[in-house]
Amino acid sequence: MRTLIAITLLLALPPGILLAHASEQGFVLLLPTDIYISAGVASVALTVALLAALPAWVASRLFRPLPLMPRLDLPLHHLTSCLSALFLAFLVWRGFTGPRDPLVNPLPLFVWTVWWIGLVSLQGLIGNHWRWTNPWTGPTAILSRVTGSRPLLRYPSVLGHLPGIVIFLAFAGFLLADPAPADPHRLAIFAGGYWYLTLMGVTLFGPRWLVRGEALTILMRAYARMGLVGRARGRIAAGLWGWQVLAAPPVSLGLAVFIVTLLGTGSFDGLNETFWWMGLLGLNPLEFPGRSAVIVQTLAGLLIANAALIAVFALCLWLGERIAGTRRPIGHAFCLFAPTILPIALGYHVAHYLTAAMVDGQYVLMALTDPLGRGADLLGLGPFYVSTGFFNTPGTVKAIWLTQAGAVVIGHVIAILLAHALAVRGHGNTWRAVLGQAPLALFMIGYTFFGLWLLASPRGM
Amino acid sequence: MPTPPKGPTRRAAIKTLAGGAVGAASLPLWARYTHAQTAEPIRIGFQVHRTGIGAAYGRWYDRTTQAAVRLINDSGGINGRAIEIVAEDDGTDPKRGAEVVEKFATQHNCDIGFGTLFSHVVIGSAPRAGELKLPYFVVSEGHHVASGMLNRYTLQPGITDVKSQVKAMAPFVASNLGKKVTMVFPDFAFGHDHRDFFTAAIEEQGGQVLEHIAIPPAETSFTKYFPKIPRETEVVYHVMVGPAVLTFVKELGEFFGPSRPEMFGFIDSLEAVAIDSPGLEFLEGTYFWEGMPRHAQPDQSDHDKFYREQVGVDARGASVSDPTDISTYAHMFGCWETLYTFKAGMEAAGYRGPADRPALIEAVEAMTDIPQSREHPQGAKIFNGKTHQVFGHQYISRVDGGKLVKVHTTSIEDTLYPDEVDYTTQPL
Repeated sequence: MRTLIAITLLLALPPGILLAHASEQGFVLLLPTDIYISAGVASVALTVALLAALPAWVASRLFRPLPLMPRLDLPLHHLTSCLSALFLAFLVWRGFTGPRDPLVNPLPLFVWTVWWIGLVSLQGLIGNHWRWTNPWTGPTAILSRVTGSRPLLRYPSVLGHLPGIVIFLAFAGFLLADPAPADPHRLAIFAGGYWYLTLMGVTLFGPRWLVRGEALTILMRAYARMGLVGRARGRIAAGLWGWQVLAAPPVSLGLAVFIVTLLGTGSFDGLNETFWWMGLLGLNPLEFPGRSAVIVQTLAGLLIANAALIAVFALCLWLGERIAGTRRPIGHAFCLFAPTILPIALGYHVAHYLTAAMVDGQYVLMALTDPLGRGADLLGLGPFYVSTGFFNTPGTVKAIWLTQAGAVVIGHVIAILLAHALAVRGHGNTWRAVLGQAPLALFMIGYTFFGLWLLASPRGM
Repeated sequence: MPTPPKGPTRRAAIKTLAGGAVGAASLPLWARYTHAQTAEPIRIGFQVHRTGIGAAYGRWYDRTTQAAVRLINDSGGINGRAIEIVAEDDGTDPKRGAEVVEKFATQHNCDIGFGTLFSHVVIGSAPRAGELKLPYFVVSEGHHVASGMLNRYTLQPGITDVKSQVKAMAPFVASNLGKKVTMVFPDFAFGHDHRDFFTAAIEEQGGQVLEHIAIPPAETSFTKYFPKIPRETEVVYHVMVGPAVLTFVKELGEFFGPSRPEMFGFIDSLEAVAIDSPGLEFLEGTYFWEGMPRHAQPDQSDHDKFYREQVGVDARGASVSDPTDISTYAHMFGCWETLYTFKAGMEAAGYRGPADRPALIEAVEAMTDIPQSREHPQGAKIFNGKTHQVFGHQYISRVDGGKLVKVHTTSIEDTLYPDEVDYTTQPL
């Protein structure tokens, strides 16, 4: 029974990690990654070619959802959100008072491994759990009911998603550039402080703050569009990843930029570990001087990577409009096609963190079996040693690498399908859609190469 | 002149080292901990590479440390007080390392700092430990302690330094493998240490280095460097590290084919990698330095057996829970031995609290002979109180049927070199 519970928990919590990036890249460099990369890029290119040849309805038909069951409108999400807030409070308390080791203290393990890797991936792969798991909507509902107060200020709509973009970049800066984002005490200050500031944001501006300024909710709501499970015509329905993107109206410009920033940040969080990047910074990757030596460079890289991606993406769309002769305003095209970036960003997220999840997930198990660090073994694991042996045998390294590559390639294929379906819808006929989509398709083929190259590159962090 | 030790005498320290654990173990179980339950624990600041490039080593350093601490606490702790480990991640980052050391001293009320591996983190952290007068026991293998660049509060009593390791290899290489050597090493401090120390040592043995081939650290393909290996080379000495090391071995095999010169390397290149991995067949018949033999040898000591059991490592140096999870066996004993060394030091100094830190330093400085034992399973050692560096046997193994078979054990004398510093002249 105990084993069963352990297995269930293991399956239910896709283990995350984060920062203990396994450096065991030796066997990856022995793999014929050139061949794998070519195959991955070819699959994406083939998708483009097939779509040009196939009838216009094919792509959108692929995304047609299957109604499953009537919606269950149990008004429990405020309750679960309050529980989530309580759980966060417990974690923050443990962050301040618990063990100093980031792989033992439950706060960093939960925030970076369970939440950032596991729950963010689940949100995109399965569907919107954030409605129940976010730690704000419940407490703010109670606050407003108890105090009877209304928002003090009206959210300035001219700001759009700008606060959310800024806060997301700050979050990414903390994740990538801070010398010790997993330090329990430091993380407790940031996590607890951010929870409180967000509560203040909602008090000031009402729930609108959550969907315009609260970066994590914006991120989760964006990824919810990727989920297999969602709502369609009042029922719960399931369909191929991305079906909800087609079903939803185009996003606002702010949200479109936010989505592209998700990919820009995810891409940079792979690039900044490569020998190539270290060479650019003039650093010896075998004697990396530590994160505190490259804070400015990392922050600059993060901003440049995002700016460059936005520019290139916009340029591809602009070119497409010119070629197809439709000449929609670039902003319009940007908002229409930005959500097609989501599967790529999600694929990167899964691929990038898979190895970390495999290692740090084991530390999560250890924390779960002994949550207060008193030698308990609630899950009946017995003597348990964290292992990284799978990084040191060719067979497992190959399986891991191909899984990561698979996530990247599938992300791109879905992105191409989505973009095609949207283009057909906009242009009305396949040929114009193919022409208009050509630059974007080339961009995505190129990005597939980039993503797979990242996975195959030697890393020094 | 060094100040003569106040409290602990050299003899007392040695006696404690040899007999401390036996003494504690001879007490009835109820008596061992009576004091410990009422007394405050001794707080050890464990500076561990949890993240960053040192994380793979950090995991095994942690596992070894936890095993030794459990044993020490089970047998009565130190001076009747339990050890409490306060682990802080330094991110394998020198600046962060200094902050961690400061936290140990000022926030966590640690009695000492311990456990740092990567040289640049030691070099970044040690000055802060010196300023704060926090005894700082590193397990780094670097020559920086004995070279004199650190301070009186930094000691390396549980693992030998690279200079002594490299020096001790030269007699074996010269008399068994050949006198004409070509060295292949990464072109940064780690490789330069090997280049400088081994070149001098092999010349002392009447040999010579025909060619120094320095490989840029970011290199991932090596074929273009191999033609630089002179034809008359008898031994290739290689110390490549980093993710491309397997590629290096594979390409070296492709370059030489069946007719290769003798090969000698440092296991650092393949620490945590199974020596019988596919792609490493070329290493069959080649030689490696090992800090402690990864594979249990026919003459395995009871101490090594006991140590493996406690850390959870099998006869091939892999985790007992996963035979593919190879440990950092050549280095991690340093944590175990360092813990027992400062335990002996604290006992000899009658250590009660931070006010006794200077006495602890003097007690450790007073140590000389450290016999092989459960507490020191790697082998007997000599501690040099002036240079704060321990010296010990080194092992040379040959890959034989996918196994590292010990073929030579150096004497401790082979590893000695003239003192480069006398830390005891610095004020406490």
